[in-house]
Amino acid sequence: MQCKSCNTELPKRAKVCPKCGTKVNDKPEGSLKVIAIIGLVVAMIGSMMPFVQNTEDITDAYSYMNISVPAMWYLFILCFVASIILIVLKKEKLSFISTALAAVIFIVSFVAFDFKGYTSRTNFTLHRLTELLSDGYNGSNYVIGAGSVLLILGLIIGVVGCFIDVLQYFKKDLGVDKKYLTNSINRSIWTTMYYHRGFYIMFIPVFIMIVLFYYWPMLGCRYAFTRYVITDPYYVGLKHFKQMFTNDVYFWQAFRNTLILSITKLVLNTGAAVIISLLLNEIVSLGFKKTVQTIVYLPHFMSWVVVASVFKMILDPNASGVVNSLLLKWNLINEPIYFLGDTKYWRGTFYVMNVWKDTGWGTILFLATLSGISPDLYEAAQIDGANRWKRLLYITLPALANTIITVFILNLAKVMNLFESVFVTINAAVYSVGQVLQTYVYFKTFSSGNSDYGYTTAVGLFKSFIGMLLVLTCNFLSKKVRGRGIV
Amino acid sequence: MSDNTVTVVKHKKKFKIFPLVNGLVFILISLAIMLPIWKVIIDSLDASSAYSFRWVPSSFTLGGYGAIFKRAALYRPFLISCVVTLIGTFMGLLLVTLGGYVLIQWEMPGRNFFAYMLLFTMIFDGGMIPKFLVMKNLHLLNTLWAVILPMSINCYNLVLMRNFFEGIPEALFEAAEIDGCSPMRIFVQIVLPLSKAALASIGLMFAVAFWNDYTNFKIYITNNNLFNFQIKLRNMVMDSDIPNDDSVDPNTIASAAVIVAILPFAIIYPFCQKYFVQGVNIGAVKE
Repeated sequence: MQCKSCNTELPKRAKVCPKCGTKVNDKPEGSLKVIAIIGLVVAMIGSMMPFVQNTEDITDAYSYMNISVPAMWYLFILCFVASIILIVLKKEKLSFISTALAAVIFIVSFVAFDFKGYTSRTNFTLHRLTELLSDGYNGSNYVIGAGSVLLILGLIIGVVGCFIDVLQYFKKDLGVDKKYLTNSINRSIWTTMYYHRGFYIMFIPVFIMIVLFYYWPMLGCRYAFTRYVITDPYYVGLKHFKQMFTNDVYFWQAFRNTLILSITKLVLNTGAAVIISLLLNEIVSLGFKKTVQTIVYLPHFMSWVVVASVFKMILDPNASGVVNSLLLKWNLINEPIYFLGDTKYWRGTFYVMNVWKDTGWGTILFLATLSGISPDLYEAAQIDGANRWKRLLYITLPALANTIITVFILNLAKVMNLFESVFVTINAAVYSVGQVLQTYVYFKTFSSGNSDYGYTTAVGLFKSFIGMLLVLTCNFLSKKVRGRGIV
Repeated sequence: MSDNTVTVVKHKKKFKIFPLVNGLVFILISLAIMLPIWKVIIDSLDASSAYSFRWVPSSFTLGGYGAIFKRAALYRPFLISCVVTLIGTFMGLLLVTLGGYVLIQWEMPGRNFFAYMLLFTMIFDGGMIPKFLVMKNLHLLNTLWAVILPMSINCYNLVLMRNFFEGIPEALFEAAEIDGCSPMRIFVQIVLPLSKAALASIGLMFAVAFWNDYTNFKIYITNNNLFNFQIKLRNMVMDSDIPNDDSVDPNTIASAAVIVAILPFAIIYPFCQKYFVQGVNIGAVKE
């Protein structure tokens, strides 16, 4: 391949021409890809819906979905497959249009197509196809039929499309590869694949594990649209989401708590880590510095259970708790404080535990940046008469700013994942301030007997969706700030 | 010349008070971290079940540790933790290195598809209940595989490994290929020996995650006989679920259990600090 502006031979996979610095426009820019990915996820969720159908509950407010979806869904899945093919063919704009079309169909199937009048599903010829392809529709159980067949077909088309894409990439690149990549010259895609057969075999275990433990659960999101108590899930449409958003105060409480706890924790941890790394950087004695580092990193290796246990032991309101006994002895309080059982103190205690555990570990990146600042800068500033404060303000902080933002962005993407730290410290007395979405899902599913998996899946899906938006936003921000994404 | 002397004098004068305060601050921080742990250590060695803070145990005993390693209800979870950590770390490293190695085969058709497939798992998450239902469908509930398998395929670590492999000079691969090495042989004889440092870092990350795993056990395992040490520890401390059948004070046993849960990595960590720290840095700093 040659550079467009100066015609130099470019090295393989070069992003910038080494001679003139022009960007090599080898792949299209990824801005539309983000939208397409969002679209695909929506498409995926939507395409799950007809997997689960039943004829009962026709009186239910949402049951018209059962009837209207099949017809719309075939159009929908077409758009979905088209988007995948188009995106791998690098026709981002067409892919985007296709995805947008899919979204429109999705909305229309919800809003405009109110088929409440129909009680017979057989009005739809296309639905006949579903029954034809389905593996045993018995009138009340859910069916995995044409839906799954088409989805699998779509995925296969996606994979094939990807290969075609790579093939074209080859054709474009053969000019350079000739020199040292003798294997791929003028060979067909099949020969190249055969040449790489060893690698495909090596990837099989990884592939299987990823499909089993990441993609199969994603398919399980379809349960969010069903009622699923112990056995036999059946389709209820958006009922769970309606209940969640309008009727469930505990859900909103958990959502609020998730945001408050994670974001406060993030700010406190990052702030403390910055201050500690700045101070740590000023220590002259290397031995002392190493010892301190070893000590402050240590709590990171303790599990949350251990941290919670240690804190429970020292904060216990009984005579065994050191903190309470000391406070009582010094007459600072009249009666023991239930640090982990009082809604007034629980959050504070939670933040303290977080800072105790993770601040030290958080300093690593900041210290790495600080050690990269040239000492010449400090020397020059000192000669110019800058004092310690001025040097901090005009040299250290600007150098550190990028890392601070990076760390912030990296962690902001994980805001919704708050779970284990809360899970091991929470108890029934502090649900109102401590319950987060993940713990809410856990307790609602596993603590009561006949819980509806469908409802908790819906809560989980909401959490995943917000999490995805956060990751994509952070990815975008990260690209702006430091030139590369986080995922 | 005189300018230089001035700066040196200034230098010395200014540096006198700050390092002292700074050192003091770090001594306080270190104390804040070590004192709670020290208190638990002392409690675990003290038979008197005295609660106040003290520097040394008032009546020394090893009964707490003895109880953990004598009672089946307590050493069994410990062994399960060990087994899960060993198998899990091995499997994790296997999958991560295989996946990472395949992802640096830029000419391989489908490489981009695999890369995006991994990438997408970091963006969207199936959620806890679907994962649980998958485990149920696979009939893995109440087996240790339910804990080991999903945690051993960690896409973040896989990408770290790939980033590390990318740093290996391509000439090495080409030379080996010309000499007639198969991909597997290149992997075993060239790639793995060259990435010992990354293997150590990522292996330690896996080991810590498996040893400290609580959530997966809580979700997938309901059988008392398969609980790991973290679950047992939490039941002991939070729910005071300690078999009370001999002379050892329950508080002593619980404290000893906390220390046992910390101990493996507290011992390994000072020697491997370099690798632990490196793990963080390859993740965020290196491309």
